[in-house]
Amino acid sequence: MDVKLLHLDDESLICRIQEGSHEAFAELVDRHSNRFYRIAYRLVSSKNDAEDIVQEAFLKLWDRPNLWDPGKRAKFTTWFYRVVINLCLDHRKKKKLINLPENIEFADENPGPDVLFDVHHKQAVLERLLNDLPERQQLAVNLCFYEGLSNIEAAQIIGVKVKALQSLIMRAKTTLKYNAQRYLDGGSR
Amino acid sequence: MNIERFKENLLVYGPDVRNWPKDMRSSGLEALDSSPELQKLVRDEERFEGFLKTRKYEEPSRNLARRIVTAALPGKKKAQRHLGEFLSEIFREFSLSRRALTAISVSLIFTLIIGFTIGFSIPSGYASAEHYETHLEDFLIYEGDVL
Repeated sequence: MDVKLLHLDDESLICRIQEGSHEAFAELVDRHSNRFYRIAYRLVSSKNDAEDIVQEAFLKLWDRPNLWDPGKRAKFTTWFYRVVINLCLDHRKKKKLINLPENIEFADENPGPDVLFDVHHKQAVLERLLNDLPERQQLAVNLCFYEGLSNIEAAQIIGVKVKALQSLIMRAKTTLKYNAQRYLDGGSR
Repeated sequence: MNIERFKENLLVYGPDVRNWPKDMRSSGLEALDSSPELQKLVRDEERFEGFLKTRKYEEPSRNLARRIVTAALPGKKKAQRHLGEFLSEIFREFSLSRRALTAISVSLIFTLIIGFTIGFSIPSGYASAEHYETHLEDFLIYEGDVL
């Protein structure tokens, strides 16, 4: 690995990739593959699928590096998040994720303490609550809460203004809280 | 900072008021110190975010980066594609549903059938040799040549 590449920023690496540098591509992948895997995993909930999507996204970049337009002045990560997210959303449409087995519901019956403490059960419920959110709200929560991106960057990725992003986060969390509470309360209401 | 504003900031920025943006941090801390109601809201939000953090996550394979880099090796860049792979990529690009694909396929088949039917039903424009010679004669006489 060329040591000089380590000191280049992402945008400079892309310019090198556009000139055909495989080493620059390798450096970019090394820097960012895990980061984009994380958001892909959050959206598709499968390790294998997330890895395939990240690979597909990077190979797209390698095959067509001119997709990145330096003139637009967006950060590479902001742009590539969009690429990965779009692939994830396409993947979900095709796979039509099934969120929960049928016996797990916001039941009228009281689930009981043993079920309530079941970690896997809680995780499955949480995943369902998140997947039930509208797409943009899901993205807002995943990017800001789980990935820790700033409101500004998350807004650029989703393609909304910062105020709109904040509204998405508020609505998403309010809905999640309400539904989580329904689940925890079970039939006691 | 009023309660409504505090609640909104709680949702957007989380329960740790010290991490809020600078322009609202001090007023947030002030409001929090003086209000048991806001303190309860912060505790509830901490519990809720704790629940969100229990979300399942699996680390990626250790060789993910290497796998991607290997897949993009220069020798593989212009690998020939099979027709099936090419068609699959086209269908993926357009994200066509099964119904749409079926409709398009049926339409193409009907078009082919109609095309062949029309093609075979129209008499051939092929002229017999005799017919061709007669016309050639006429042409040569018209042009002044004498046979």
